[in-house]
Amino acid sequence: MITQERYRTTVKELLANGSIKMAIGYKPGSTPDRRRPLFIRTSEEAEQLVLDSTCVQNLSGYLVSEGLLSDEKRVGIFLRPEGVRSINILAAEYQLNADQIVIFGFDSTGREVRPLDGRSAREFSGLLNELKEKPLQIYKEPLLERIEKMNAKERFDFWQEEFSRCIKCYACRQACPMCYCRRCIVDSNQPQWVNTSSHTLGNFEWNIVRAFHLSGRCVQCGNCDRACPVNIPLRLINQRMANEVLDGFDHFAGLSATQEPVLASFKKDDTETFIL
Amino acid sequence: MSELFEPKIVAFVCTYCTYAGADLAGTSRLKYAPNVRIVRLPCTGRISPMFILKALQKGADGVLVSGCHPGDCHFTHGNYHARRRWMVFRALLDFTGISPERVKFSWISAAEGSKFADLINSVTEDIRNLGPFDQYQQLIKETESPATL
Amino acid sequence: MTRILFSDKLDNCVAKWRSAGLAVIGPVQEEAISRYAAVEKGTDFDFGTVLPDRSLKELFFPQTEPMLRYTIKKNEIDTADFTPPQGKRIIFGARACDASGLEIDDPLFGWDYKDEFWFQRRNESVIVTIACTKADDFCMCTSLKLEPDSTKGADVLLRPIDKNKGWLVEELTDRGREAFALISEYLQESSEPALPTVVVPEKFNLDACVTWLKNPENFESKFWKEISMRCIGCASCTYLCPTCHCFDIQDEGDTYSGIRRKNWDSCSFALFTMHTSGHNPRSTQSARWRQRIMHKFNYFPGKFTVNSCSGCGRCSRQCPVDMGITETLQAISNL
Repeated sequence: MITQERYRTTVKELLANGSIKMAIGYKPGSTPDRRRPLFIRTSEEAEQLVLDSTCVQNLSGYLVSEGLLSDEKRVGIFLRPEGVRSINILAAEYQLNADQIVIFGFDSTGREVRPLDGRSAREFSGLLNELKEKPLQIYKEPLLERIEKMNAKERFDFWQEEFSRCIKCYACRQACPMCYCRRCIVDSNQPQWVNTSSHTLGNFEWNIVRAFHLSGRCVQCGNCDRACPVNIPLRLINQRMANEVLDGFDHFAGLSATQEPVLASFKKDDTETFIL
Repeated sequence: MSELFEPKIVAFVCTYCTYAGADLAGTSRLKYAPNVRIVRLPCTGRISPMFILKALQKGADGVLVSGCHPGDCHFTHGNYHARRRWMVFRALLDFTGISPERVKFSWISAAEGSKFADLINSVTEDIRNLGPFDQYQQLIKETESPATL
Repeated sequence: MTRILFSDKLDNCVAKWRSAGLAVIGPVQEEAISRYAAVEKGTDFDFGTVLPDRSLKELFFPQTEPMLRYTIKKNEIDTADFTPPQGKRIIFGARACDASGLEIDDPLFGWDYKDEFWFQRRNESVIVTIACTKADDFCMCTSLKLEPDSTKGADVLLRPIDKNKGWLVEELTDRGREAFALISEYLQESSEPALPTVVVPEKFNLDACVTWLKNPENFESKFWKEISMRCIGCASCTYLCPTCHCFDIQDEGDTYSGIRRKNWDSCSFALFTMHTSGHNPRSTQSARWRQRIMHKFNYFPGKFTVNSCSGCGRCSRQCPVDMGITETLQAISNL
């Protein structure tokens, strides 16, 4: 509650003195356990701000919505550490200027919410480096371990079952801050690389392509997983890929705004044990 | 004796090294398994993982990707980029149940005609032993679309 | 005196229907989601959920469906039509909103071109609606002037009796009577009262909303931008909606042969209206959300005299950013 009140005051001050033109936060949703994104432009709107442990959506995707940052004015945003990583990746990929983003950081343990120090992404580098050293809980998700132990056929069966439910609503893509392409590969039809139909083959292809494009870029915010209306465990696939780039290339996505994207860079001595 | 299974394999190769290597194999009159359809591209850096998926979508039992040895790239570092991408993509295929045995990667230079012939033979043999990619082909069949490979 | 179908006879009924050649479909709780799916015995059903995650629509209008096969030769093009799959079925335990959704879409699929895939399935399906005794925060059928025990789209209406013992049977159509004649031996005369249907509070004033939407001045209202600011532009609302019916036609294959398919499409996508030139008449998400609301409550009723919404609330229930029709229409009511 104190964190929420303090942040309300801060947002009002920054809006009043013109430091930011808008702040993106959370407000109550349609049921007591839901929160919805809030765009704060006035101090009345700031009154609606809620900050508690149920604020889980990574809001950073809104920053790259068309035209929001083009006037070069600053925008404030409420972010958990994963959200800060998203900002770094977006900046590293030249989608935004990190200096234009004023961060209101927070994190929670249980129901307790605490503020995080720092207003710009740069100031979070210490925290993010710590995160790299002690990865998130879901690194050790039992289901992930179970899948890793399966043989190829069992894994295929597992994912076939999961992907067969996909309806290609693309909520996973739309909810992801990293999926900012103006025209997604599945929407490109000359040539049509991925089957647009949501038969299982098309779903398989879509989900593989999505996961590949997020490899080394995903911050495990969980937006896709929560957005999926048919409950496909997308977090597992993203987590597996994050583990891969961490183990293979010591890459922890979103450490800084100048970090080189892992799949757009290389080292001459990268492992190549699998190459014949 | 049941008839020997003849796998369909698609090879994506770079024009400067592996394709020239394949050419050398040909001009040297080396005989190798006829199961591979070669697709020539400017550089391994141009070989998008989409190509591999597309080959599987059209009914391939296996895919081979091959290019210049590290340091030999015509474009200086296309193959270094490709190498990272392959490693990640391979892990992804593995995780989703597409056995990495079916998607092979290699470096073959323009001078390695015999390596090319040997590789094609061994890859063909490996994939023949794995058998047809039934799981994937069942999915293709469900779509009713033609798999024209 | 009404007839009662006791739950312990459900197994027999399912067996009877199946032996008479009817596929039996009902609400099923799978590991990850709930949906309407084939059942083989009484215990496969799950009548406990307020509403299955996925709507009844997909059993009549699947997310992807082949229409024709083509082969392009040197001088001619061969085509072969796919015919809609045949087979009678009984959908036991539909929710009133889902069943209403089907009837809402009937005029749409039969208005100009008669969609044989839709109507073949409609004609071969018996819909048995079970009146709702439970609702959640998102249910809003009453706001759409429907009821938890609406008979719209149903061939038989069942009203639950106490302690999950069974249902009072109200046969509504010949098709329903025919299906229940097959199991008449399991129905018992009884005077047991039905449980009261759930009271679903009215969430907005539909008439006021429709009047506002019909006013051309409101088309360009700032309201649209404000209400849809957080919309991320996915299609979970449209794809889970029991009445959204837009589709796209796609050819899968190559230059020489392939399949033409009918796939769900959504007005939430920018690509939905994108012209080949690159111009997009609905270039913003607010224009797309406005279209969805306008279509449901202005254009569709303008043509077919019925709102294209049955109040199931799935759009709000599943929205990743907690939007939905309820919120928008509530906001319009309060303007």
